[in-house]
Amino acid sequence: MSDNIIILMIGVSTFLGALGLLALLWGVKSGQFDDQSKFIDATRFDNEEDLRDAAMMEEKRQKRAKKKKEDKSYMPPD
Amino acid sequence: MKEVACTHCHLKFSEDVMITETHGEHTLYFCCNGCQGVYHLLNEEGLGSFYDKLGDTTLQPAAQKHDDLERFDLEGFKNKYIKVHEDGLYEIHLIIEGIHCSACVWLNEKVLHKTPGILEASINYTNNKAKVLFDPEEIKLSKIIETIRSIGYNAYPYDPALQEERAVSTRKSYYMRILVAVFGMMNIMWLAIAHYAGYFSGIEQRFKDILNVAEFILATPVLFYSGWIFFRGAYYGWKNRIVNMDTLVATGALSAYLYSIYAMVTKTGEVYFDSVVMIITFVLVGKYLEVLSKKSAVDTLDSIMGTTPTEVTLIKGNSKALVSVENVTQGDLIELKPGEKVVIDGKVVSGEASFDESSLTGESEPILRQKGDEIRSGSICLDSVIRYEATKDASSSLLSSIVSLLEESITKKPRIEQLANTVSGYFSTTILLIALATFAGWYLATGSFERSLIVGISVIVIACPCALGLATPMATLVGISLAAKRGILFKEATYLETMAKSDLLALDKTGTITEGKPSVIHAQVEADFDPALLYALTESSNHPVSQGIKRYLETRYEKLSTPTLTEIKSIEAKGVEAYCETTHLLGGNAALMRSHGIKIDHEGEHTLFYFAVGQEIKAYFELSDRLREGAKEAIEAIQKMGIRVVMLTGDHEASAKRIAQVVGIEEVYARLLPQEKAALIDRFHQEGHIVVMAGDGINDAIALARSDIAIAMGNGADVAISVSDVVLLDERPKSLQEAYRISRRTFRAVKENLAFSLLYNLIAVPLAVAGYVTPLIAALSMSLSSLIVVANSMRIKSLRFREDSREQR
Repeated sequence: MSDNIIILMIGVSTFLGALGLLALLWGVKSGQFDDQSKFIDATRFDNEEDLRDAAMMEEKRQKRAKKKKEDKSYMPPD
Repeated sequence: MKEVACTHCHLKFSEDVMITETHGEHTLYFCCNGCQGVYHLLNEEGLGSFYDKLGDTTLQPAAQKHDDLERFDLEGFKNKYIKVHEDGLYEIHLIIEGIHCSACVWLNEKVLHKTPGILEASINYTNNKAKVLFDPEEIKLSKIIETIRSIGYNAYPYDPALQEERAVSTRKSYYMRILVAVFGMMNIMWLAIAHYAGYFSGIEQRFKDILNVAEFILATPVLFYSGWIFFRGAYYGWKNRIVNMDTLVATGALSAYLYSIYAMVTKTGEVYFDSVVMIITFVLVGKYLEVLSKKSAVDTLDSIMGTTPTEVTLIKGNSKALVSVENVTQGDLIELKPGEKVVIDGKVVSGEASFDESSLTGESEPILRQKGDEIRSGSICLDSVIRYEATKDASSSLLSSIVSLLEESITKKPRIEQLANTVSGYFSTTILLIALATFAGWYLATGSFERSLIVGISVIVIACPCALGLATPMATLVGISLAAKRGILFKEATYLETMAKSDLLALDKTGTITEGKPSVIHAQVEADFDPALLYALTESSNHPVSQGIKRYLETRYEKLSTPTLTEIKSIEAKGVEAYCETTHLLGGNAALMRSHGIKIDHEGEHTLFYFAVGQEIKAYFELSDRLREGAKEAIEAIQKMGIRVVMLTGDHEASAKRIAQVVGIEEVYARLLPQEKAALIDRFHQEGHIVVMAGDGINDAIALARSDIAIAMGNGADVAISVSDVVLLDERPKSLQEAYRISRRTFRAVKENLAFSLLYNLIAVPLAVAGYVTPLIAALSMSLSSLIVVANSMRIKSLRFREDSREQR
C-alpha cells in the first residue's frame, strides 16, 4: 500500500465529515436547533402550505423594503 | 346524561349545558361563547386543519376576557419591552399562555403570519416564548396581543435582555464548541486505534507520520476553538493570581499538544493528540450541562416576571389614567383592582379588600385592609376595588428596597473554598515546578537540551491531563444530570460540593414546608348538597379559600358541570353571593352567614367556609395551610444525616410552633422580618456553620442571598429564584433530602477520584522524572486512569437507582 492511498483515504473521509460538521454548525448558528420539540415536529407538519407561508412572509418584507426605499428617494421640494 | 366534547377545546361536559349548532348533518358543541367564537374565526380564516393537527389534545376554554389592552401601547411599556431595529421595525418578545401541543404553536404562528404588519413570528414550543417582528406603522402591539387572545391564548411581554439573551448565546456557543470537539475526538480515536495497533504489531515510520499529521490537523481546531474557554478561564485566573481548574486543563492540554508536535516533527516517540481532545471534550461537556441547567432556571423566571405590573391606575379628579410606576409621586391616588399586585406602598383611602401578603410576611391567610390601613408593595389585592394614597414613590417602596438590599447581599455572598479547585490548584503548581526541576536536573546531568526537554514535558503529560482533569467534572456531571432528572436544578456544579459540606438547614415555613395556600382538611356535607352549585360559586372568585374549595371539589367529584350564575357579588373578606336562576347561593365565613341571619354554632381554630343554599347551610369546610407531602419524613431523614434543621418564618409563633411540632423541628424563629431572617443567617455563619436555606418568597430573598446555598421552590417568587443556587422544580420536600444525598454522594466520588489520581501520580510522576516513561506506559496509564475515574463517577448513578427501587418496594 502506498502512502498516497492512505493520505487520500484519510483526507477524503475527514473532508466529507467536516462538510457535515460545517452544515451542522451553520444550523446551530442560524437558530434551527433552538427548539428541540419544534424541530422534530417540523417533519410531521411539513407541507406545501408552509412553503407558501414562507413565500408570503418574504413578499411582505420585500414590499416593506420597497416602500421604505420609495419614501427615502422622495425628496421634498424646497 | 351524555357527555360530549367541545368542538374547540375538546373538554367534556354534559350535553345539556353545551351551546349547540347544527350544520346539515353535523352538530357542533361548544362549552362557551369563547370557544364558539374561536372555532368560527379559524374556519373563516381557512385554518380548520388545526383541529386535524390537534388530535385528542384538550385545550383551555377560550373564555378569558381582559380589558388591559391599552396598557400595551403606553410609552413606558414600549421603553421597557420593545427593541427598535435600525430599519424601524419593532421587536417584541412574548410569553404565550395556553400552548399545549405543537398544533397550538402552528396555529399561533399561522395567525400571526397572516396578520398584516407582522414580518416575523416564531414561537418556541419548549418554553412557549415567541419573538415577533412588526412594523409599527401598520400594527400596534395591543392589536397583536388582541389577535393572539382572539384565538383563545394569552400573551404577555417579557424582557429577554435580562438573562435570556445571554443564556441562549452561551448555550449556542458551547454547543458549537462541543460539536467540533466531538467530531475531532471521534476521528482521532479511529486514527489512534491504527496507532496503537501499529505500536504492538509494528508500523513503518512513514505511515506513522501520515497518522500523526492527520491527528494534528484534527486536534488543532479542537484545542484552540473548543478549548478556548479554558484558555480564557486560565487567563482570568492568572490575572487574579489564582491557579484554577481551567489553568490545569489549559496547561495540560497545551503541553501535551506541544510535546506531540515536537514528537511529530522530530519523528521520535509517540504523539498524544488523542489525550488532548479527550480532556477538552469531556470537561467541556461537563461545563455545558451547567449552562443548560442555568437556562431552564431562566425560563421559569421569565414567565413569573412578565406578570409584574409596570403601570398603575392613577385617579386624578374624576378621570383615571394608567401611569408608569416611575412617575407616581407621594400623595397620588391609586386604584387597585382585584388580582393586581401592589407595586407602591400606601394607605387605603376608600374601600376594603383582603390582601395576600404571603410573599412578604409568609402568612398564608389573607388579611383585611380597611380605610386608614397601610398596604405594602408585594402584596396582592384579592377581592375588591380599593383606592389608596401613595405614601412613598416606587423606588423607596418596600418591594424595591428589598430588591436593592438583595443586590447588595448577592455581591457579599460568601463563597466556600472548593476542595477540588484548591487541590488541583496546588497540584498543578507542584507539577509545573517538578517539571521545571526535572528539566533543570536532566540538563545539568546530561547536558542534552533535547533529552531534558522531552523528559520535562513527559512529566506534565503523564501527570496531569486525564485523571485529575476529569476527577471533579466527571463526578459533578453525573451528579448534576441525576439531580436534574429528579427536578433539582443546580445552577453551578460547585454548589454540589458546598451543599455536601453544609451542616445547617434553615427552612421557611409558608410555601416550603407547607403548600402556602389553604386546602380543605375537613368537610361536612348535607345529603342534598349539590357540588356543582358550589363549584360554580367558587369559580367566580380568586380568593385563596375559594380556590382551595375548588381544588377539593375537583378531586372529590368527577366532571362537574357549571350552572350559570347571575348577580355574582363578592363581599370583601367575607365571601361570595350569587343566584342560580332563583336560588340564592351564599358561600363564605361565619360573619357572612350571620349577616344574612343564618345561625352558626361551629367553632374551629382553622379557617371555616360555609355554603348555604336558600338560607340553609348545606356544607361546611375547614381549611388550613397543609403540609407538603412527605415533609415530615424528609426533615427526619435530613436530621438523621447530622444536619441541624431550623425554621425561620414571618408567621406568628403559635402557628409556627404547631407546624414545627408536626414535622419535628425543635428550633423555631417566628415573627421575622426579611432583614431579621438575613441577620439570623449571618449569626449562623459566625457560629461557623455552612448554611443551606430553603425558601420561596420575597421575604426569604435576602436570607437566601446571604446563605451559602440557597434553595428555591420552582413556583416561588421571582427574586427568590434568581438569587438561589438550586431550584426544586417539583417543590417536594423530599427533593431537599435528595439534593443532600446526591451532593454528598457526588462529593464522595470527587474525593475518591482525587485520591485515586493523586495516588496514580505518586507512582507515575517519579517514573517520569527518572526518565522511564516509555510510550507504552504513558498510553496505557493515561487511558486506564481516566477510565477508572469515569467508571467511579458513573457509580453515583447506579447506587442511586438501587436505593430508589428499595424505597419503592
